[in-house]
Amino acid sequence: MWLADLIGGLVVLVLGFAVVFFSWQLPYMSEYGPGPGFLPRWIGFGIVGCAIVVIIKILKKHDKSGAFFRPLTKMGIKALILIIITFLLFPLLGFCVALGLFVGASMRVMGKHRWISCAFTTVVTVIAIHYIFAHWLSIPLPTGMIGW
Amino acid sequence: MDLLHNLYTGFTIALTWANIFYCLVGVFFGQIVGVLPGIGAPTAIALLLPMTFTVNPTSALIMFAGIYYGVAYGGTITSVLINVPGESSTVMTCLDGYQMALKGRAGAALSIAAIGSWIAGTGSVIILMTFAPALAKFALRFGPSEYFALAAMAFGLLTVFGGEQPIKIVISTLIGLLLATIGLDIVSGLPRFAFGMPQLLGGIDFIVIICGIFGVAEVFNSIEEPEEGELIKQKMRLRDLFLTWEEWVASRWAIVRGSVIGFFIGMIPAGGITTASFLAYLAEKRYSKHPERFGTGAIEGVAAPESANNAASISGFAPLLALGIPGSPTTAVMLAGFMMWGIRPGPLLFQTKPDLVWGLIASMYIGNFLLLLMNIFLIPPFVAILRLPYTIIMGFIVIFASVGAYSVNNNIFDVWMMLGFGVLGYVMKKLEYPIVPLVLALVLGRLAENSLRQALTLSGGSLSIFFTRPISALFLCAAILAYLTPVIRWAWKSMQRPKATVNT
Repeated sequence: MWLADLIGGLVVLVLGFAVVFFSWQLPYMSEYGPGPGFLPRWIGFGIVGCAIVVIIKILKKHDKSGAFFRPLTKMGIKALILIIITFLLFPLLGFCVALGLFVGASMRVMGKHRWISCAFTTVVTVIAIHYIFAHWLSIPLPTGMIGW
Repeated sequence: MDLLHNLYTGFTIALTWANIFYCLVGVFFGQIVGVLPGIGAPTAIALLLPMTFTVNPTSALIMFAGIYYGVAYGGTITSVLINVPGESSTVMTCLDGYQMALKGRAGAALSIAAIGSWIAGTGSVIILMTFAPALAKFALRFGPSEYFALAAMAFGLLTVFGGEQPIKIVISTLIGLLLATIGLDIVSGLPRFAFGMPQLLGGIDFIVIICGIFGVAEVFNSIEEPEEGELIKQKMRLRDLFLTWEEWVASRWAIVRGSVIGFFIGMIPAGGITTASFLAYLAEKRYSKHPERFGTGAIEGVAAPESANNAASISGFAPLLALGIPGSPTTAVMLAGFMMWGIRPGPLLFQTKPDLVWGLIASMYIGNFLLLLMNIFLIPPFVAILRLPYTIIMGFIVIFASVGAYSVNNNIFDVWMMLGFGVLGYVMKKLEYPIVPLVLALVLGRLAENSLRQALTLSGGSLSIFFTRPISALFLCAAILAYLTPVIRWAWKSMQRPKATVNT
């Protein structure tokens, strides 16, 4: 966890410098008062300053116990991969079918539910998403091969 | 008389069939959200917000308010029956509520929580009704310098109430402010941090960020750290819900004290319902003649925090409606809703949209009454919801978050961005960077920046405008004091610490 904390602090520091760098390219003052770069520049300085304090505190820390990755982190990673695959399938299958498959797949992969339950939930979810969001709430969800 | 007339107008609006329906849906849904560990009121409202594009704003607000105070009721059920707080605001209820349940008084614990919440909620609505218009009238004197100072005070108070690592709170606030600056600058028209991407020119929509940072991040966090507890399998009969005379005597003043503490803490920007319940519990323990009973099943230990969290959830509407400044993440999400519907909350809201304000206030009486009934007669169905597998709940969260993010601009880019913010929220939570300051800063960022620029333009660039106007000076002093609090605390602790002696 100590290393993760340190990396986190460094990422924040880099973010701060990036904000300062990009805000420097914006006018700091305008004709009538502060310009578009005024607040971002101070935000950048603030982030850099705070990140330095955080990093110093981490470096001074003696307790280096704890881990960033826990036993169930891999389940979270599985969920993330499933979500990414679902989003990639949007253009091909459309919102309703892809999200319905996501529910079924997550039940199977992460919850170890029976195939029949997963398939049934998938079908019900696809129909529910279509009728609730696309039909009832009139949200123009992208459609896929089957027109849903 | 004005007050009664306004309240009458409010009830004529809140008592229409459509609004009663939305109120019922809100409190019912809030109760469910409260029961389910891992989903909070801001997440629920954030996920539902995009679904209300076509709904009347008053009805939508009535529903969201119902979710907000319904969550506080619902969280109690899991706190008492499985020793797992469904909501952070019911953490303190676990201490004595679960102990009461182990002693066979689960029904009494749930009853006093419902009755206390109802008394606190109704009492708070009455005070809110008189206080909020007065606050709005006072806020009519506010200019840009006052609004900037108020926002600065809200950010500063986060370091007081936000947690143990103030420096990370400040970083989180700054990141929220940074996100608010993305897009075209409204004064100069210059793009900021858009990096040539046309999708970013209009800024990142608030809904996209909160769907990710609350919804999807919550999925990852809940998978990794499931909150499990053992359900007390005690058959609850109706008569178990009745309190004994001794229990009522012990808890009646705890309810009053909890309500007062909750109301005032809820009004402070960044105060929030969790802090309110925590302080009410501590105050009750300190006030008690038998503090040793706390933690072993003292009914006052349930009554006080439960009353406080409900009072705070109602009083949190005062700064939102009267000043346009949210005091908690949930009201921050609601502020985003106001923006989505093209309504600007603030001092003029009471004059321009009296139907919305008074309809909302009147609905709180109805909502609290519905919740009281639900919590006395519908506990078993809510407990049954706890048996729903998380993989299914997770699926619903991802569906609502994806559709919500997409529906803002009908753009897949926003859905990917929502996922990015989900990962960011997950990492932030793991590294103990709080999310709430980011959300508050994101919502108030535009107001803070515009007010700052307007004030400095008016003063010709001189900072004296913030200190020569009494209200803004007061707010800024409070902000500075709030930012200095961690330093003062640190210095105080250093002074208290005994000096080390070296033995030779």
